[in-house]
Amino acid sequence: MDILRFITAGNVDDGKSTLIGRLLYDTGNIKTDVLQTITGEDTINLAHITDGLRAERQQGITIDVAYKYFTTADRKFIISDAPGHFQYTKNLVTGASGADVMILLVDAVTGITAQTKRHALVASFLRKKQIVVAINKIDAVGYSQAIYTSVCDTFSNIAAHLSLPGITYIPISALLGDNVINLSTNTPWYRGASLLQYLELCPPDQPINNIFRFIVQYVTKGNGIQYCAGKVVAGFVCAGDTVVIYPDGCTAVVRMIMNGFQDTDIAHAGQSVCLYIECTQAISRGSTISESNIIPQVNNTMDVNVCWLDEEPLVPGKEYYLQMNSCNTICCINEIISKTSVDTLENLPGGVTLEMNEFARIKIKTKDSLAFDSFQHIPPTGRGIIIDMETYYTSGAFVIL
Amino acid sequence: MDHLEILEGEAIHILREVAGQFRNPALMFSGGKDSTVLIHLMVKAFYPSPPPFPVLHIDTGHNFPEALTFRDDLARQYGLKLIVKEVEHTISKRGLQDATGKFPSRNALQSHTLMDAIKELGLDACIGGGRRDEEKARAKERNFSVRDASGAWKPYNQRPELWDIYNGRIQQGGNVRVFPISNWSELDVWRYIQREKIGLPSLYFSHERECIRHNGRLVAVSEYILIDGSDVLETKNVRYRTVGDMTCTAAVESNAFTVEEVIAEIENTNISERGQTRMDDQLSEAAMEDRKLKGYF
Repeated sequence: MDILRFITAGNVDDGKSTLIGRLLYDTGNIKTDVLQTITGEDTINLAHITDGLRAERQQGITIDVAYKYFTTADRKFIISDAPGHFQYTKNLVTGASGADVMILLVDAVTGITAQTKRHALVASFLRKKQIVVAINKIDAVGYSQAIYTSVCDTFSNIAAHLSLPGITYIPISALLGDNVINLSTNTPWYRGASLLQYLELCPPDQPINNIFRFIVQYVTKGNGIQYCAGKVVAGFVCAGDTVVIYPDGCTAVVRMIMNGFQDTDIAHAGQSVCLYIECTQAISRGSTISESNIIPQVNNTMDVNVCWLDEEPLVPGKEYYLQMNSCNTICCINEIISKTSVDTLENLPGGVTLEMNEFARIKIKTKDSLAFDSFQHIPPTGRGIIIDMETYYTSGAFVIL
Repeated sequence: MDHLEILEGEAIHILREVAGQFRNPALMFSGGKDSTVLIHLMVKAFYPSPPPFPVLHIDTGHNFPEALTFRDDLARQYGLKLIVKEVEHTISKRGLQDATGKFPSRNALQSHTLMDAIKELGLDACIGGGRRDEEKARAKERNFSVRDASGAWKPYNQRPELWDIYNGRIQQGGNVRVFPISNWSELDVWRYIQREKIGLPSLYFSHERECIRHNGRLVAVSEYILIDGSDVLETKNVRYRTVGDMTCTAAVESNAFTVEEVIAEIENTNISERGQTRMDDQLSEAAMEDRKLKGYF
């Protein structure tokens, strides 16, 4: 059994919570006592399954991400049910960051809206590789192929503009179940898979397997060996390999690899292991261990795409903390190069500030030199967060160009 | 990697972030299966170094004796530093009203003892075995849940948490609640226990116990609950699906004597874990959210 993580995003009333309720219910993943709490006099309100907070139930909206779980024969699914409102985009970004698949719900009656474009922008910012546009309430438009096609055409233009790859379009009715679990006879013109069939077959995001990167989280020492506890985030490492410790750039030898209580000859991307390293210099938390062939950049400036998450706007020239994986430093934003309009998706001049839920390209200068890769190339070593030095709030998320 | 390896890797990564980011963390232990799995994960995450965090037990005074014996054995076996703080002590020191009624649960009072312990020990991170699929308010938690000095959860303005980058910075007096097994289901926990051969308190397997039936749930007869003339005492073969305070945890009828048999029963049950066994969640539709707002895990 493997794991697939997906996020559902859509406008208020697009039927997002109903869809999740439908997936959980029709796969037999809602227990009877929980079902009772969402059952009215004669009908089940599937949407209520994801409203975890009192205010959400009272106002009928989603404020923050709720995580839900279900399994089918060969796969465990982790759903992030994300809010649709523009003001909660920061929570959508939180939920979408870890997702393998992003499902954008579009109401067949109203079609593509400004909010759909914003959600597409989030997908583009996070470089999501698998996107499903679920055209919901297809029953409410008489299962019309023409309306389905028109939504597909409109979204394809947005996808082309944002360079989004891998879009799958599925006409569904979350309320009635058409094409959610099984293919529906009401849409004979649709030749693709049902939503669940798609989710059961699509691959989870694959780590980069040919370039080695390891993040050091915690170091202890003994007998001239440094025990570096951390995670292989890309590629693999073998006992006996010569590696390079960044940002210093010193060479070291991996003497042994421990995976839990057992030693192993090789560790692959995704594994949390402990490397026994012989190195003349001290290795510390936040170091990146790399292969010697394809090495990271080491620099104190970087151009990045950022999404601002804080009510306090970004102030160029102000000092912030910067965190990449387990590595911390201080930074300031030298320049807002350009912004992307969340309404039209057009590029705009950078201006002097960045408000919450805005997207921009910026130039960052860090106090210490950092080792990093481009996000497109090796995602785990190409991303980070910006933290307010007074409130400690996670104010911005960035991906390195 | 299969799903258990992925979940284990995620938990170990989080535990190592705690060790790297905080000065004075503790692992919260309840005697239950989830926190027992956490201890195993902690030992594994730092091997060959010894586990870097002490284990904190908030003792309600209404524990199952089997859970306490298990706790002490586990601490000895792994060489853990065990800290026990008693709710009884908090009640007398602070002059609090003890729980009353037929099932006098100290579940809500626990939060006071926890907050006092955090202050007294200067804890900046508390690691807990809470899982998102347990309960609807828990489904909204971050892996790093930032709390201010009052311990209160602020569900309407949570810190963004992107990828697997954890920002554990806190203001003076604040602390972070950390949930390494957020993404595990009840079955994931049991399958992991099976794979790693993790020991559990005997409560988790079928045994004979004298119970009363209350609102359809089987509650163990003990000195902590009020038995009256209307109660019918029955001896049943039961096991526990969750282990909490004896006054608010119900048993389930079971003939499962091994981990494999428990897994088979859970696969076939149609009732949720807390729904079947936790009387404290049934008080209102937002009982868990309300407890969390007051500093609970």
